[in-house]
Amino acid sequence: MIRFDGAAKRHPDGTLAVEGLDLTVPAGRTTVLVGPSGCGKTTILRMVNRMVEPTAGRVLLDGTDVAQLDAAKLRRGIGYVIQQAGLFPHRRVIDNVATVPYLLGWDRKRARTRASELLELVGLPPETARRYPFQLSGGQQQRVGVARALAADPPLLLMDEPFSAVDPVVRSGLQDELLRLQAELNKTVLFVTHDIEEAVRLGDQIVVLREHGRIAQVADPATLLAAPADEQVAAFLGRDRGLRGLALRPAEGIVLLAANTPLDGWTLAVDQEGRPTGWQRSAETIRQVAVFRPGLDTLRTALDSAVLSPARVAVAVDHAGRVIGLAPRAAVLDALDAAGPDTAAGITATGVADGR
Amino acid sequence: MGDEPLVRWHWIGTHLGYLRDLLLDHAVISLLPVLFGLLMALPLGLLCVRFPRLYQPLAAVFNVIYALPALAVFVVLIPYTGLATQATVMTPLTCYALAVLLPTTVDGLRSVPEPVRQAATALGYGPWRRLAAVELPTAVPYLVAGLRVAAVSSISLASVGALVGRGGLGYLFMDGFQRTFPTPIVAGIVLVTALALVTDAVLLLARRLLAPWARRESVVGR
Repeated sequence: MIRFDGAAKRHPDGTLAVEGLDLTVPAGRTTVLVGPSGCGKTTILRMVNRMVEPTAGRVLLDGTDVAQLDAAKLRRGIGYVIQQAGLFPHRRVIDNVATVPYLLGWDRKRARTRASELLELVGLPPETARRYPFQLSGGQQQRVGVARALAADPPLLLMDEPFSAVDPVVRSGLQDELLRLQAELNKTVLFVTHDIEEAVRLGDQIVVLREHGRIAQVADPATLLAAPADEQVAAFLGRDRGLRGLALRPAEGIVLLAANTPLDGWTLAVDQEGRPTGWQRSAETIRQVAVFRPGLDTLRTALDSAVLSPARVAVAVDHAGRVIGLAPRAAVLDALDAAGPDTAAGITATGVADGR
Repeated sequence: MGDEPLVRWHWIGTHLGYLRDLLLDHAVISLLPVLFGLLMALPLGLLCVRFPRLYQPLAAVFNVIYALPALAVFVVLIPYTGLATQATVMTPLTCYALAVLLPTTVDGLRSVPEPVRQAATALGYGPWRRLAAVELPTAVPYLVAGLRVAAVSSISLASVGALVGRGGLGYLFMDGFQRTFPTPIVAGIVLVTALALVTDAVLLLARRLLAPWARRESVVGR
């Protein structure tokens, strides 16, 4: 767990980078610092591994003030990933990944074995190991950067806009990969980005920052989208935040009708296994059926299913794709309403209290 | 030079041993200074990068030395290092090599991209360890570029040492000129050129071995 306790940074020329910051970064979760460029988010990140020393206040790592720790040793215990990957051009991929194990004095064989495991973990083929960084694509370099950060199995990972320099398709793949890794590893991740979509996608906790590192709002993604603290945060979140928020809520508690209920003359045809094959009304047949899996998919998928259906119902299926029931649009929206009051309560509990 | 032919093969045939000795002497008095220059440029360069205020004054001193004519320096050194000794020729050549190699070393060490430097710091390298493990290897292509310039100019300058009695192949130029006999001059030119080319090839090979990761276009030639 990281705690910022009034941590501030004033540059030698007197300009203020970060005003006193109070923030708790919970262990084992992903916390995303998001805000416009120049809001001090990178400065905040670097206070954790002492690449920036606060001019006032403290940063506590599991209760210990980081200023009391040896900087180089502290850093070897914290994974760090940056935008351009920052791979060492003169070292092969495998030795780049093994950097921290070497620094910790592991023998060469053990360090390289560990590095190979990590290349596999981040989805790079074994032949990459012998290459030099310039022989890799940007996305591959970034994967190596993540592997290098994880090499000594640090409990804490600092990520400074790690995916900003790659194209959108690759970025989306890297985000998926990080979510998969995080589900497996449960690191404490502090992630900096200027991209709110990325923040919503990756964060368990999102910290929206204004200039000088002032906190505008701290919330989980669904709460943030549903109830921004003020106009500025709402503007930063952009359009369609209501619909985007649906993608963060599980499709649960939707009241289903029996699968063979005729609606507006339409009936759902199923095969022998009970999987939907199409919609039928007298001579008309529509072959495409959009479905959702209650509990597994999100409300956004459920609503999508209802919008696409000629009978105006969402089709609920189980994990094997067998129909379990039909949900009229109203039922989907009712489930959304049911989630509403909780969200508002969440804001008072976790939200603007920290803001200054 | 009248009807004297450009090359008398007979003279060359009877002086092979002599030419070989001159070539070896030339290689020693011109290339050892480059090695000494490199051995001094590396620690000085590291200091200059670690403490940037040192760099400008040091670079100024070596630039002034570089501007001094070689012959004048040789003559001034004779009372201290002796006439026709290796030290008389090698001392200024070492300074010249250093004048070329110090800026290349500093440029090379500073050529490390900022994200690489930051990543090294963030992964837990201390400042000196980072210089040795990250900046220095990254500087190799720059160092080789500087060494190529320093070596070739040293090989060419060493000939001037003949005027104070220790110039390796340079002696052939004086000899040929005084006797109006072109054969030693031609032999000297061919051997000096060959020495320069072989040295350059060895340095390029060293770069390929030491820095296989360096893409050709990324190396700044000087």
